[in-house]
Amino acid sequence: MERSFAKEVELLRRGDGEYFEGEGILAITKGLLQSGVSYVGGYQGAPVSHLMDVLTSDSKGLMAELGVHTEVCANEAAAAAMLAASINYPIRGAVTWKSTVGTNVAADALSNVASAGVVGGALIILGEDYGEGASIIQERTHAFAMKCSAWLMDPRPHHPRMVDLIEKGFELSEASHTPVMVEFRIRACHVTGRFATKDNKPGRFSTNDKLEKPVFDIGRIALPPATYEQEKKKVEERFPAAIDFIREHKLNEVFPGKYDDVGIVCLGGLYNSVIRGLQQLGLADVFGNSDIPILCLNVTYPLVDDEIAEFCATKRSVLIVEEGFPEYHEQAINALLRKADLNTEIVGKGVFPKAGEYQAEVMLRGLAGFIEGSVPKGIDLEPVSAVVAGLDKTKETAAEMLGKPVPKRPPGFCTGCPERPVFSAIKLVQREEDVGEVHISADIGCHTFAALPPFGLGNTVTGYGLGLASSAGVAPHFNGRTISIMGDGGFWHNGLSSGISGAAFNDHDSVLVIMANGYSSATGQQRLPSTTAGGSVPSDTVMPMERAIKGLGVKWVRKQYTYRVGKMKKLLHEALTTPEKGLKVIIAEAECQIAKQRRLRPLVRKALDAGNRVVRTRFGVDEDTCTGDHSCIRLSGCPSLTVKPNPDPLRKDPIAHVNNGCVGCGLCGEVADAAVLCPSFYRADIVQNPKGMDLFLDKWRKSVIGRLGGYANGAVANGSAAGGNGAAR
Amino acid sequence: MSAEANGASNGAEALPERTFTMVVGALGGEGGGVLTSWIVAAAESLGFPCQSTSIPGVAQRTGATTYYIEIYPAHHDRLAGRSPTMALYATPGNMDVVVTSELMEAGRALELGWVTPDRTTLISSSHRVYSILEKSAMGDGRFEASDLIETANHLARRAILIDMDRLAQANGTVINAVILGVIAGSGEVPIPAEAFEKAIEKTGVAVSGNLRGFKAGFDYVRGDIPMPEEPPPVERGAPGDIGALLARLEESFPPETHRILRDGVRRAVDYQNLAYGARYLDNAGKILAADKANGGAERGFGLTVEGGRYLALWMTYEDIIRVAALKSRPERMERVRREVGAKAEEPVVVTEFLKPGYDEIASVLPPALGRALTRWKEKKSSRQKFHVAMRVKTNTVFGYVRLWGLAKLRFWRPYSYRFAEEWSEIETWLEALESAAGRSYELALEIAELPNLRKGYSDTHRRGVGNYRKVFEELARPAATATGDPAGAVTALNAARTAALADPEGDALRTVLVAPPAPPEENRAQAAE
Repeated sequence: MERSFAKEVELLRRGDGEYFEGEGILAITKGLLQSGVSYVGGYQGAPVSHLMDVLTSDSKGLMAELGVHTEVCANEAAAAAMLAASINYPIRGAVTWKSTVGTNVAADALSNVASAGVVGGALIILGEDYGEGASIIQERTHAFAMKCSAWLMDPRPHHPRMVDLIEKGFELSEASHTPVMVEFRIRACHVTGRFATKDNKPGRFSTNDKLEKPVFDIGRIALPPATYEQEKKKVEERFPAAIDFIREHKLNEVFPGKYDDVGIVCLGGLYNSVIRGLQQLGLADVFGNSDIPILCLNVTYPLVDDEIAEFCATKRSVLIVEEGFPEYHEQAINALLRKADLNTEIVGKGVFPKAGEYQAEVMLRGLAGFIEGSVPKGIDLEPVSAVVAGLDKTKETAAEMLGKPVPKRPPGFCTGCPERPVFSAIKLVQREEDVGEVHISADIGCHTFAALPPFGLGNTVTGYGLGLASSAGVAPHFNGRTISIMGDGGFWHNGLSSGISGAAFNDHDSVLVIMANGYSSATGQQRLPSTTAGGSVPSDTVMPMERAIKGLGVKWVRKQYTYRVGKMKKLLHEALTTPEKGLKVIIAEAECQIAKQRRLRPLVRKALDAGNRVVRTRFGVDEDTCTGDHSCIRLSGCPSLTVKPNPDPLRKDPIAHVNNGCVGCGLCGEVADAAVLCPSFYRADIVQNPKGMDLFLDKWRKSVIGRLGGYANGAVANGSAAGGNGAAR
Repeated sequence: MSAEANGASNGAEALPERTFTMVVGALGGEGGGVLTSWIVAAAESLGFPCQSTSIPGVAQRTGATTYYIEIYPAHHDRLAGRSPTMALYATPGNMDVVVTSELMEAGRALELGWVTPDRTTLISSSHRVYSILEKSAMGDGRFEASDLIETANHLARRAILIDMDRLAQANGTVINAVILGVIAGSGEVPIPAEAFEKAIEKTGVAVSGNLRGFKAGFDYVRGDIPMPEEPPPVERGAPGDIGALLARLEESFPPETHRILRDGVRRAVDYQNLAYGARYLDNAGKILAADKANGGAERGFGLTVEGGRYLALWMTYEDIIRVAALKSRPERMERVRREVGAKAEEPVVVTEFLKPGYDEIASVLPPALGRALTRWKEKKSSRQKFHVAMRVKTNTVFGYVRLWGLAKLRFWRPYSYRFAEEWSEIETWLEALESAAGRSYELALEIAELPNLRKGYSDTHRRGVGNYRKVFEELARPAATATGDPAGAVTALNAARTAALADPEGDALRTVLVAPPAPPEENRAQAAE
């Protein structure tokens, strides 16, 4: 992590009588500290990375003062297992990860903790990455809560409420001896807002105030007959205790409204969207006072049956607002109304789509559909229908006038990304006759972007760190070898065990490329066990991947600096064609450019200000020799390698062009060289704050080349003048 | 805010009836997050309830990202503990200000229904950042933006479309600061400019540059400063005394064709010598004759213009001599210095990546030798991989002399293998062009544009030439001499040309050539002739 979080830590220190203004995820973090948490662990992933990043950045400061232990866990399973501390001891703990992918990984430990039960409050902060902009498969966390009897909260995105519910979550966990999951959607984590802070509270036990002796209780071990007893407890004790707590502390909220023959039951996380839809339809005011009664479920599992029955009893029709499929809540509410012998009509999927996020427009249309269908007593439907008709008209006009859809803008690798050259090399090696097209078992990470234009590389993606493991079934069915991809993040997450040890044990004969950019980059450049951070990590604390791999008995392990496309291609060719059997591992090394720039930029600025000589490298395309075929772009996809109108009046197609975003990584030149593309690329080394020798050399060169006609006369004169000034300095 | 203007009641100003909504559509890496934090900080400094959110997620880098901001323009103290409920999504039909950092993203905002005539101000930079899909086409894949501006003006209450990228570049800063300046200067946001400036200062990063950008955007949108001029392109040197050739051109060619042919003559002379320029005009004359004979006058002599364009480009094909000449001329270094933003006193060392192989060597050998080398090479595919990697530092004396020496080989070019090969194909093309003109003007135009497939260097060039030959031999040449309705042939040629430029591997072209788009019955019969 090449970032500083000093400002965030300052916000976490605020206490009674002060205010917090900032992002949701940081507010949640503050909520943990106000609740007397003793340990926090987790695995990074948008949108909850920030929680871990901030806390671990200050483990020696505020965390040490409060006695909070923070742990960057190896993966989500490790994080969930950390909650074991709360099984025997009255210690509050919280762990965090991205859901549902992380919950999948954590499921084993989660089941065990939920079954054993907890005495200290155990909270799991989930970044629910569902819907627009999500980078993972689309599922909801709800099923996890149901199947292992852990509770699930879904607070409405309002800072004071979110923070309050964190504290209530610990209490709920303790009252019902059950771990509690608190999910926050991606936008709720990034939402900025304000709340009145309270003093941070040290935990009941902490690193400053330690436990005295261990507790042994066979009833908390996952062995029969304890497991049978635990299952019974879940149903007979913990579940009812949770229901009582939720009802008693009014964790769910009822908002009255004047059209009370109908109503809306919504998940907490969707509350603001419901209000905005109603505001737009003229059925709610700016402060969220709605004309239609709303039951907002801040706890989405378990449901408090009588609370819902009571809300529905007086209503003809109720709308259930929950995303995704299956419609757990709609089904559960239908069932509980049947049991309560209530005939209230339940509307949900139908006016809402079965799949996909309820973003603003979906919500608006769904609410309008419900209102038009249920016709609340005394309502004027005309303005409601007019809003939807107006929306249709705007979109129709836009589509008609634009004539054609606006092209998509898929994401890609950053400018200067060290992973891009590897995919250029893979594309090129597949052009070799003795290689041809290769099946690629891709993995999760920035490198998944290789599947997008312009590379289109990667035939399967099956999970984080599972690139190599996912090749086990397919590789034996091909004549040639397959390539698997793994990031260094995925390697340490589980790739070493599930992929490499499996491949070594089963004598796989395939190729693994490990993208070693030194960070868990896609989640925000968190450091990994193998991170060197350009040499700024003490070398005796770095765990080199190469040694771990060799330790598992893999013999063919090579390292290659990624930007050397020609060499990378040669190495790939060798790995794919060598008669040597067994797993071939290429560690493709080069630092994440974002992290590198973040570290280097201030240093360069300082050096320049101090008048030191700094050489800046940039690439460019000669507009005279570029013929506008864009082969270079198809082999690189660099954001700063773009096109511009052709300055040559005879040529019509745009030419390639390197814009000012260039960080001088050199890939375009390397690709032009390795793929034998064209002579248009040039590298320019610009000597900033030149010294006497630079200027002398420059002057001499200009004078000789000028005599051969290579410089216009004016340029020679300028150069000489500048040289003179420099020499005098 | 109309709600604010509702006036006072009981001596206190009425509270706004709704929140102010604003969405920022940016591209990953442009600083949309920082821009949003400035706006939020400014609103907070005034004590306004405010909320922002974003989905950077997978959209990191180059993908489209959106930031959504809501502000309730009334101080916390006036709300008696209440707080406005704000949304987490930009909602169509409910937007006050829509900001996009690039023109195509403005199109996306329009498409989504975010921009409505009753209340939306659309603020967008008018420059383009091309998406990977637009960039990677073999030809011109750029999204045409003219309808977009019209749509923006039609659908927005107020559309502010400014080249903010140029303002940023001219002020040596980044675009997000300029955008903030334009937002502030537009007067459409309930926050005074000073609050924004303070927010920039408080961030403490690159403050002076950001303030400069802010001021440029602010002043420009208010009409206080003009758009900074783009520096004029570096002048290309005159190729020598071409007065006589130009006089001949003006005398014997219609005015509609002068612009392109003049460039063609210059290029040919620059490439070889005055005689080569004359040869260019001789051949252009042949096209003109066919053009005139087939009603070209009514069509603005389009055939001569397009034929003359590709004739010039083909005659000046890029061999190593040409590349060396272009890279060693004086104005080039000037252009490089400007492009990389080198200051006057900063020495620049330029490295070229040259990698000539058998093809490039064969191309400058005498025809018999060149042909022999090419045949020998083709017998063993591994020989195709032979290349001499040359990293030439053009502005070192040794590097320059190498390019200078290569360029001096120009005298030899007319005796080279490739020269002979190219000219034999040029002549076949000209013949097809001439006879096609007699059959159909459209057909001749299609054939005139065909050499555009011969692009690039090395493998790309080899594939391009292969595609050209396939289309020429299978479609163009037979069609040029066939009889009957030529419409099918024109469509087929156009489809093949588009397909050849669609993907470099030639997959699309293969599909088109296997199944040409439904030619009429009679045509198929003629193709067999």
